Amino acid sequence: MPKVKMPTSTPSLDMTPMVDLAFLLVTFFMLTSSFRAPEPIVIDPPTSTTENLIPKQVFLIMIDKDGRTFVDITNAAVKAKVLKQVLNQFKVQPLSEEDVTTFLGIGPFGLRAGEIQNFLELETGERTAYEQKGVPYDTADNKAKTSELYYWAYHTRIEAHNDFKAREEEAKLRKMDFDKTNYIQFAVKAHPEAKYQAIQDIIQVFRDAKVKEFQMITGLESE
Amino acid sequence: MAELQTGGGDGGNKKRAKKQSTRVDMTPLVDLAFLLLTFFVLTSTFSKPKVLRMIFPEKLDKNDPLIKQPEVKNGLTLLLTDDNRIFYYTGGLKATTVLEETNYTKNGLRKILAERNLFLINELKKLQVEQAKINEKDTAAKRKFDAKVKDAQVKSTLVLLVKHDKNATYENMIDVLDEFLITQIAKYFVVDEDLTELEKKLIQAKIKL
Repeated sequence: MPKVKMPTSTPSLDMTPMVDLAFLLVTFFMLTSSFRAPEPIVIDPPTSTTENLIPKQVFLIMIDKDGRTFVDITNAAVKAKVLKQVLNQFKVQPLSEEDVTTFLGIGPFGLRAGEIQNFLELETGERTAYEQKGVPYDTADNKAKTSELYYWAYHTRIEAHNDFKAREEEAKLRKMDFDKTNYIQFAVKAHPEAKYQAIQDIIQVFRDAKVKEFQMITGLESE
Repeated sequence: MAELQTGGGDGGNKKRAKKQSTRVDMTPLVDLAFLLLTFFVLTSTFSKPKVLRMIFPEKLDKNDPLIKQPEVKNGLTLLLTDDNRIFYYTGGLKATTVLEETNYTKNGLRKILAERNLFLINELKKLQVEQAKINEKDTAAKRKFDAKVKDAQVKSTLVLLVKHDKNATYENMIDVLDEFLITQIAKYFVVDEDLTELEKKLIQAKIKL
Protein backbone atom coordinates (compact mmCIF):
# COMPACT_ATOMS: atom_id res chain seq x y z
CA MET A 1 0.00 0.00 0.00
CA PRO A 2 1.46 3.34 -1.00
CA LYS A 3 2.19 5.59 1.89
CA VAL A 4 1.35 9.30 1.82
CA LYS A 5 4.72 11.01 1.76
CA MET A 6 5.06 13.61 4.41
CA PRO A 7 7.44 16.53 3.77
CA THR A 8 10.50 15.75 5.77
CA SER A 9 12.17 19.14 5.72
CA THR A 10 10.94 22.59 6.54
CA PRO A 11 9.95 24.54 3.46
CA SER A 12 12.85 26.61 2.23
CA LEU A 13 13.12 29.35 -0.34
CA ASP A 14 16.00 29.87 -2.69
CA MET A 15 17.31 33.22 -1.63
CA THR A 16 20.28 33.42 -3.97
CA PRO A 17 18.74 35.89 -6.46
CA MET A 18 17.56 38.09 -3.63
CA VAL A 19 21.04 38.20 -2.14
CA ASP A 20 22.47 38.91 -5.55
CA LEU A 21 20.15 41.81 -6.02
CA ALA A 22 20.67 43.16 -2.54
CA PHE A 23 24.44 43.14 -2.90
CA LEU A 24 24.24 44.65 -6.33
CA LEU A 25 22.28 47.55 -4.87
CA VAL A 26 24.63 47.82 -1.90
CA THR A 27 27.59 48.01 -4.24
CA PHE A 28 25.84 50.63 -6.35
CA PHE A 29 25.04 52.85 -3.41
CA MET A 30 28.47 52.41 -1.90
CA LEU A 31 30.17 53.47 -5.08
CA THR A 32 27.89 56.34 -6.02
CA SER A 33 27.30 57.89 -2.66
CA SER A 34 29.30 60.72 -1.32
CA PHE A 35 28.82 61.43 2.29
CA ARG A 36 27.46 64.65 3.50
CA ALA A 37 30.10 66.41 5.52
CA PRO A 38 28.92 67.19 9.04
CA GLU A 39 27.69 70.73 9.03
CA PRO A 40 27.16 72.99 12.02
CA ILE A 41 24.23 74.62 10.25
CA VAL A 42 21.87 73.22 7.71
CA ILE A 43 21.19 75.50 4.78
CA ASP A 44 18.72 74.74 2.08
CA PRO A 45 19.73 77.13 -0.69
CA PRO A 46 17.23 78.75 -3.07
CA THR A 47 16.54 76.96 -6.32
CA SER A 48 17.43 77.83 -9.89
CA THR A 49 17.40 76.24 -13.33
CA THR A 50 21.14 76.39 -13.90
CA GLU A 51 22.91 73.25 -15.03
CA ASN A 52 26.46 74.07 -14.00
CA LEU A 53 27.83 71.60 -11.51
CA ILE A 54 29.64 72.63 -8.39
CA PRO A 55 33.44 72.69 -8.86
CA LYS A 56 35.45 69.78 -7.47
CA GLN A 57 37.30 71.90 -4.97
CA VAL A 58 35.73 74.84 -3.22
CA PHE A 59 36.20 77.37 -0.52
CA LEU A 60 32.69 77.12 0.85
CA ILE A 61 31.11 80.22 2.33
CA MET A 62 27.94 79.41 4.22
CA ILE A 63 25.72 82.27 5.29
CA ASP A 64 22.81 81.62 7.59
CA LYS A 65 19.62 83.55 8.13
CA ASP A 66 21.21 85.93 10.62
CA GLY A 67 24.28 86.62 8.52
CA ARG A 68 26.63 84.32 10.43
CA THR A 69 29.41 83.00 8.21
CA PHE A 70 30.80 79.50 8.21
CA VAL A 71 33.66 78.54 5.95
CA ASP A 72 35.30 75.35 4.78
CA ILE A 73 38.00 74.41 2.32
CA THR A 74 37.50 71.06 0.66
CA ASN A 75 41.19 70.58 -0.04
CA ALA A 76 42.69 69.32 3.24
CA ALA A 77 46.29 70.26 2.42
CA VAL A 78 45.32 73.81 1.56
CA LYS A 79 43.04 74.05 4.59
CA ALA A 80 45.92 73.09 6.88
CA LYS A 81 48.22 75.66 5.32
CA VAL A 82 45.65 78.44 5.47
CA LEU A 83 44.88 77.60 9.09
CA LYS A 84 48.53 77.97 9.97
CA GLN A 85 48.75 81.33 8.21
CA VAL A 86 45.62 82.71 9.85
CA LEU A 87 46.66 81.61 13.33
CA ASN A 88 50.02 83.20 12.74
CA GLN A 89 48.37 86.40 11.55
CA PHE A 90 46.37 86.74 14.75
CA LYS A 91 49.25 85.69 16.98
CA VAL A 92 47.50 82.54 18.17
CA GLN A 93 49.57 79.55 19.29
CA PRO A 94 49.82 77.04 16.43
CA LEU A 95 47.80 73.87 16.90
CA SER A 96 49.37 70.50 17.59
CA GLU A 97 49.51 68.07 14.69
CA GLU A 98 46.73 66.02 16.23
CA ASP A 99 44.47 69.05 16.58
CA VAL A 100 45.11 70.06 12.99
CA THR A 101 43.94 66.62 11.86
CA THR A 102 40.80 66.98 13.95
CA PHE A 103 40.24 70.45 12.58
CA LEU A 104 40.45 69.19 9.00
CA GLY A 105 37.71 66.71 9.80
CA ILE A 106 35.13 69.03 11.33
CA GLY A 107 33.89 70.51 8.06
CA PRO A 108 32.54 74.05 7.97
CA PHE A 109 33.32 76.16 11.02
CA GLY A 110 32.33 79.59 12.24
CA LEU A 111 35.00 80.22 14.85
CA ARG A 112 37.34 83.01 15.77
CA ALA A 113 41.02 82.13 15.43
CA GLY A 114 41.43 82.28 19.20
CA GLU A 115 38.51 79.95 19.75
CA ILE A 116 39.68 77.06 17.61
CA GLN A 117 41.96 75.43 20.19
CA ASN A 118 39.23 75.39 22.83
CA PHE A 119 36.69 74.10 20.37
CA LEU A 120 38.89 71.18 19.36
CA GLU A 121 39.39 70.17 22.98
CA LEU A 122 35.66 69.55 23.37
CA GLU A 123 34.14 66.10 23.01
CA THR A 124 32.36 65.40 19.73
CA GLY A 125 28.97 65.73 21.38
CA GLU A 126 29.85 69.00 23.05
CA ARG A 127 31.03 70.42 19.75
CA THR A 128 27.58 70.15 18.23
CA ALA A 129 26.12 71.97 21.20
CA TYR A 130 28.77 74.70 21.07
CA GLU A 131 27.34 77.86 19.62
CA GLN A 132 29.54 79.02 16.78
CA LYS A 133 29.14 82.72 16.20
CA GLY A 134 30.53 82.76 12.68
CA VAL A 135 33.86 83.92 11.33
CA PRO A 136 34.02 87.63 12.13
CA TYR A 137 34.13 90.20 9.38
CA ASP A 138 33.96 93.93 9.21
CA THR A 139 33.26 96.16 6.28
CA ALA A 140 34.18 99.53 7.71
CA ASP A 141 36.74 101.07 5.36
CA ASN A 142 39.62 101.17 7.79
CA LYS A 143 38.94 97.74 9.22
CA ALA A 144 38.01 95.84 6.08
CA LYS A 145 41.44 94.37 5.65
CA THR A 146 42.01 93.25 9.20
CA SER A 147 39.02 91.02 9.76
CA GLU A 148 39.45 87.27 10.16
CA LEU A 149 37.25 86.43 7.21
CA TYR A 150 39.43 88.61 5.03
CA TYR A 151 42.52 86.63 5.98
CA TRP A 152 40.83 83.29 5.44
CA ALA A 153 39.89 84.48 1.96
CA TYR A 154 43.25 86.08 1.24
CA HIS A 155 45.41 83.14 2.29
CA THR A 156 43.12 80.68 0.56
CA ARG A 157 43.43 82.58 -2.69
CA ILE A 158 47.21 82.46 -2.46
CA GLU A 159 47.48 78.86 -1.27
CA ALA A 160 44.96 77.74 -3.90
CA HIS A 161 47.13 79.36 -6.54
CA ASN A 162 50.27 77.67 -5.18
CA ASP A 163 48.49 74.35 -5.03
CA PHE A 164 47.36 74.73 -8.62
CA LYS A 165 50.87 75.59 -9.81
CA ALA A 166 52.40 72.69 -7.90
CA ARG A 167 49.99 70.22 -9.41
CA GLU A 168 50.56 71.65 -12.86
CA GLU A 169 54.33 71.27 -12.46
CA GLU A 170 53.96 67.72 -11.29
CA ALA A 171 51.71 66.83 -14.18
CA LYS A 172 54.24 68.32 -16.56
CA LEU A 173 57.08 66.33 -15.02
CA ARG A 174 55.19 63.10 -15.23
CA LYS A 175 53.81 64.01 -18.65
CA MET A 176 50.28 63.46 -17.42
CA ASP A 177 47.11 65.25 -18.42
CA PHE A 178 46.30 68.19 -16.24
CA ASP A 179 42.78 69.32 -15.51
CA LYS A 180 42.92 73.10 -15.69
CA THR A 181 39.42 73.52 -14.36
CA ASN A 182 40.27 71.77 -11.12
CA TYR A 183 41.23 74.56 -8.78
CA ILE A 184 39.73 75.89 -5.61
CA GLN A 185 36.83 78.17 -6.40
CA PHE A 186 34.77 80.28 -4.06
CA ALA A 187 31.26 78.98 -3.55
CA VAL A 188 28.51 80.76 -1.65
CA LYS A 189 25.75 78.79 0.00
CA ALA A 190 23.31 81.11 1.68
CA HIS A 191 19.96 80.78 3.36
CA PRO A 192 17.14 82.02 1.08
CA GLU A 193 15.99 84.44 3.77
CA ALA A 194 19.43 85.84 4.46
CA LYS A 195 19.37 89.60 4.02
CA TYR A 196 20.96 90.87 0.86
CA GLN A 197 22.92 93.32 2.98
CA ALA A 198 24.79 90.47 4.68
CA ILE A 199 25.53 88.78 1.37
CA GLN A 200 26.84 92.01 -0.08
CA ASP A 201 29.01 92.72 2.95
CA ILE A 202 30.56 89.28 2.85
CA ILE A 203 31.15 89.44 -0.87
CA GLN A 204 32.82 92.82 -0.31
CA VAL A 205 35.26 91.20 2.11
CA PHE A 206 36.19 88.67 -0.55
CA ARG A 207 36.50 91.32 -3.21
CA ASP A 208 38.88 93.14 -0.90
CA ALA A 209 40.91 89.94 -0.88
CA LYS A 210 40.89 90.10 -4.69
CA VAL A 211 38.48 87.25 -5.17
CA LYS A 212 36.30 88.06 -8.15
CA GLU A 213 34.50 84.94 -9.12
CA PHE A 214 31.80 83.32 -7.04
CA GLN A 215 29.70 80.22 -7.54
CA MET A 216 26.31 80.64 -5.98
CA ILE A 217 25.11 77.22 -4.89
CA THR A 218 21.48 76.58 -5.65
CA GLY A 219 19.13 73.66 -5.37
CA LEU A 220 17.38 72.16 -8.34
CA GLU A 221 14.23 73.92 -9.45
CA SER A 222 11.27 71.63 -9.65
CA GLU A 223 9.21 73.26 -12.29
CA MET B 1 18.71 24.95 7.23
CA ALA B 2 21.05 22.11 7.43
CA GLU B 3 18.50 19.88 8.89
CA LEU B 4 19.09 16.21 9.20
CA GLN B 5 17.11 14.10 6.88
CA THR B 6 15.50 11.67 9.19
CA GLY B 7 13.64 8.93 7.46
CA GLY B 8 13.68 5.26 6.92
CA GLY B 9 14.62 2.81 9.53
CA ASP B 10 17.88 1.28 8.52
CA GLY B 11 20.27 3.70 10.13
CA GLY B 12 24.02 3.96 9.95
CA ASN B 13 24.70 3.81 6.23
CA LYS B 14 27.06 6.19 4.48
CA LYS B 15 24.95 6.84 1.42
CA ARG B 16 22.40 8.79 3.42
CA ALA B 17 25.01 11.15 4.75
CA LYS B 18 26.09 12.04 1.25
CA LYS B 19 22.57 12.95 0.28
CA GLN B 20 22.51 15.76 2.80
CA SER B 21 21.68 19.06 1.15
CA THR B 22 24.57 21.38 0.45
CA ARG B 23 22.46 24.47 0.86
CA VAL B 24 23.69 27.25 3.07
CA ASP B 25 21.30 29.21 5.17
CA MET B 26 21.34 32.62 3.56
CA THR B 27 18.97 34.43 5.87
CA PRO B 28 21.67 36.25 7.87
CA LEU B 29 23.40 37.20 4.65
CA VAL B 30 20.21 38.71 3.30
CA ASP B 31 19.67 40.51 6.58
CA LEU B 32 23.10 42.01 6.42
CA ALA B 33 22.79 42.94 2.77
CA PHE B 34 19.54 44.76 3.34
CA LEU B 35 20.86 46.46 6.43
CA LEU B 36 23.75 47.85 4.41
CA LEU B 37 21.44 48.72 1.57
CA THR B 38 19.15 50.70 3.85
CA PHE B 39 22.13 52.47 5.38
CA PHE B 40 23.51 53.61 2.05
CA VAL B 41 20.14 54.57 0.67
CA LEU B 42 19.45 56.78 3.65
CA THR B 43 22.85 58.39 3.99
CA SER B 44 23.82 58.98 0.40
CA THR B 45 23.30 62.29 -1.31
CA PHE B 46 22.61 61.89 -4.94
CA SER B 47 22.50 65.04 -6.88
CA LYS B 48 25.46 67.31 -6.74
CA PRO B 49 24.39 70.87 -6.10
CA LYS B 50 24.27 73.24 -9.02
CA VAL B 51 25.87 76.66 -9.18
CA LEU B 52 25.21 80.06 -10.68
CA ARG B 53 28.41 81.77 -11.66
CA MET B 54 28.94 85.41 -10.76
CA ILE B 55 31.87 87.62 -11.52
CA PHE B 56 32.46 90.92 -9.81
CA PRO B 57 34.75 93.48 -11.38
CA GLU B 58 37.62 94.90 -9.46
CA LYS B 59 36.57 97.52 -6.96
CA LEU B 60 36.67 101.06 -8.22
CA ASP B 61 38.34 103.66 -6.12
CA LYS B 62 35.64 106.27 -5.64
CA ASN B 63 38.16 109.00 -4.91
CA ASP B 64 40.04 108.52 -8.15
CA PRO B 65 39.03 111.44 -10.41
CA LEU B 66 40.03 109.54 -13.54
CA ILE B 67 37.50 106.80 -12.98
CA LYS B 68 33.97 107.72 -13.80
CA GLN B 69 31.03 105.50 -13.14
CA PRO B 70 29.73 104.53 -16.55
CA GLU B 71 26.31 105.89 -17.24
CA VAL B 72 23.86 103.40 -18.63
CA LYS B 73 21.35 104.96 -20.96
CA ASN B 74 19.60 102.02 -22.50
CA GLY B 75 19.16 100.01 -19.38
CA LEU B 76 16.34 98.45 -17.50
CA THR B 77 16.88 98.87 -13.80
CA LEU B 78 15.30 96.46 -11.36
CA LEU B 79 14.94 97.53 -7.76
CA LEU B 80 14.42 94.62 -5.40
CA THR B 81 12.85 95.56 -2.10
CA ASP B 82 11.52 93.77 0.94
CA ASP B 83 8.23 91.85 0.83
CA ASN B 84 9.42 90.30 -2.45
CA ARG B 85 8.44 93.29 -4.56
CA ILE B 86 10.20 94.41 -7.72
CA PHE B 87 10.09 97.92 -9.09
CA TYR B 88 11.62 98.82 -12.41
CA TYR B 89 12.26 101.69 -14.75
CA THR B 90 13.80 102.15 -18.17
CA GLY B 91 16.73 104.37 -19.02
CA GLY B 92 18.37 106.91 -16.75
CA LEU B 93 16.81 108.01 -13.50
CA LYS B 94 15.07 111.38 -13.51
CA ALA B 95 12.74 113.05 -11.05
CA THR B 96 9.94 112.42 -13.53
CA THR B 97 10.65 108.69 -13.83
CA VAL B 98 7.64 106.58 -13.12
CA LEU B 99 8.29 103.26 -11.47
CA GLU B 100 6.39 100.17 -12.41
CA GLU B 101 5.91 97.15 -10.28
CA THR B 102 6.10 93.45 -11.03
CA ASN B 103 6.61 90.20 -9.16
CA TYR B 104 8.61 86.98 -9.32
CA THR B 105 6.00 84.88 -11.08
CA LYS B 106 6.11 83.53 -14.60
CA ASN B 107 3.75 86.21 -15.83
CA GLY B 108 5.54 88.97 -14.00
CA LEU B 109 9.25 89.49 -14.39
CA ARG B 110 9.82 86.70 -16.88
CA LYS B 111 7.25 88.09 -19.30
CA ILE B 112 8.75 91.57 -19.15
CA LEU B 113 12.27 90.27 -19.67
CA ALA B 114 11.23 88.01 -22.53
CA GLU B 115 9.49 90.92 -24.27
CA ARG B 116 12.47 93.22 -23.91
CA ASN B 117 14.90 90.55 -24.94
CA LEU B 118 12.90 89.46 -27.96
CA PHE B 119 15.68 90.37 -30.40
CA LEU B 120 18.28 88.14 -28.79
CA ILE B 121 15.86 85.31 -28.12
CA ASN B 122 14.90 85.24 -31.80
CA GLU B 123 18.52 85.36 -32.90
CA LEU B 124 19.37 82.47 -30.63
CA LYS B 125 16.39 80.51 -31.89
CA LYS B 126 17.63 80.92 -35.45
CA LEU B 127 21.05 79.77 -34.37
CA GLN B 128 19.57 76.73 -32.70
CA VAL B 129 18.30 75.53 -36.05
CA GLU B 130 21.83 75.88 -37.36
CA GLN B 131 23.26 74.03 -34.40
CA ALA B 132 21.17 70.98 -35.18
CA LYS B 133 22.93 70.67 -38.52
CA ILE B 134 26.44 70.76 -37.09
CA ASN B 135 28.34 67.52 -37.04
CA GLU B 136 29.31 66.46 -33.50
CA LYS B 137 32.95 65.96 -34.43
CA ASP B 138 33.41 69.09 -36.48
CA THR B 139 35.24 71.28 -33.97
CA ALA B 140 35.85 74.09 -36.43
CA ALA B 141 32.13 74.41 -37.14
CA LYS B 142 31.42 74.27 -33.44
CA ARG B 143 33.84 77.08 -32.74
CA LYS B 144 32.30 79.11 -35.52
CA PHE B 145 28.89 78.52 -34.02
CA ASP B 146 30.05 79.60 -30.55
CA ALA B 147 31.44 82.77 -32.08
CA LYS B 148 28.07 83.45 -33.69
CA VAL B 149 26.29 83.07 -30.37
CA LYS B 150 28.77 85.40 -28.75
CA ASP B 151 28.28 87.87 -31.57
CA ALA B 152 24.52 87.85 -31.14
CA GLN B 153 24.95 88.43 -27.42
CA VAL B 154 27.26 91.36 -27.99
CA LYS B 155 24.85 92.91 -30.48
CA SER B 156 22.00 92.76 -28.02
CA THR B 157 21.40 96.24 -26.66
CA LEU B 158 19.43 95.32 -23.57
CA VAL B 159 21.32 95.96 -20.36
CA LEU B 160 19.89 94.92 -17.02
CA LEU B 161 20.86 96.55 -13.76
CA VAL B 162 19.85 95.01 -10.48
CA LYS B 163 19.81 97.01 -7.30
CA HIS B 164 18.92 95.57 -3.95
CA ASP B 165 17.29 97.23 -1.03
CA LYS B 166 18.94 96.37 2.29
CA ASN B 167 16.00 94.19 3.22
CA ALA B 168 15.80 92.19 0.01
CA THR B 169 16.67 88.55 0.56
CA TYR B 170 19.25 86.29 -1.00
CA GLU B 171 16.42 84.34 -2.58
CA ASN B 172 15.29 87.48 -4.43
CA MET B 173 18.77 87.90 -5.85
CA ILE B 174 19.01 84.28 -7.02
CA ASP B 175 15.48 84.36 -8.43
CA VAL B 176 16.28 87.38 -10.55
CA LEU B 177 19.55 85.91 -11.79
CA ASP B 178 17.68 82.74 -12.63
CA GLU B 179 15.10 84.70 -14.64
CA PHE B 180 18.00 86.26 -16.58
CA LEU B 181 19.26 82.79 -17.30
CA ILE B 182 15.86 81.61 -18.48
CA THR B 183 15.24 84.61 -20.71
CA GLN B 184 18.82 84.45 -22.03
CA ILE B 185 19.75 87.97 -21.02
CA ALA B 186 23.32 88.54 -22.14
CA LYS B 187 24.24 91.70 -20.27
CA TYR B 188 23.40 92.28 -16.67
CA PHE B 189 25.02 93.84 -13.65
CA VAL B 190 24.39 93.48 -9.99
CA VAL B 191 24.99 96.95 -8.63
CA ASP B 192 26.73 96.89 -5.28
CA GLU B 193 25.52 100.29 -4.18
CA ASP B 194 22.53 101.20 -2.10
CA LEU B 195 19.45 102.64 -3.72
CA THR B 196 19.76 106.35 -4.32
CA GLU B 197 17.60 108.78 -2.36
CA LEU B 198 15.54 109.48 -5.45
CA GLU B 199 14.90 105.80 -6.02
CA LYS B 200 13.84 105.37 -2.42
CA LYS B 201 11.49 108.32 -2.73
CA LEU B 202 9.96 106.99 -5.92
CA ILE B 203 9.41 103.60 -4.32
CA GLN B 204 7.73 105.23 -1.34
CA ALA B 205 5.48 107.17 -3.68
CA LYS B 206 4.65 104.03 -5.63
CA ILE B 207 3.81 102.04 -2.51
CA LYS B 208 1.46 104.72 -1.28
CA LEU B 209 -0.54 104.67 -4.49
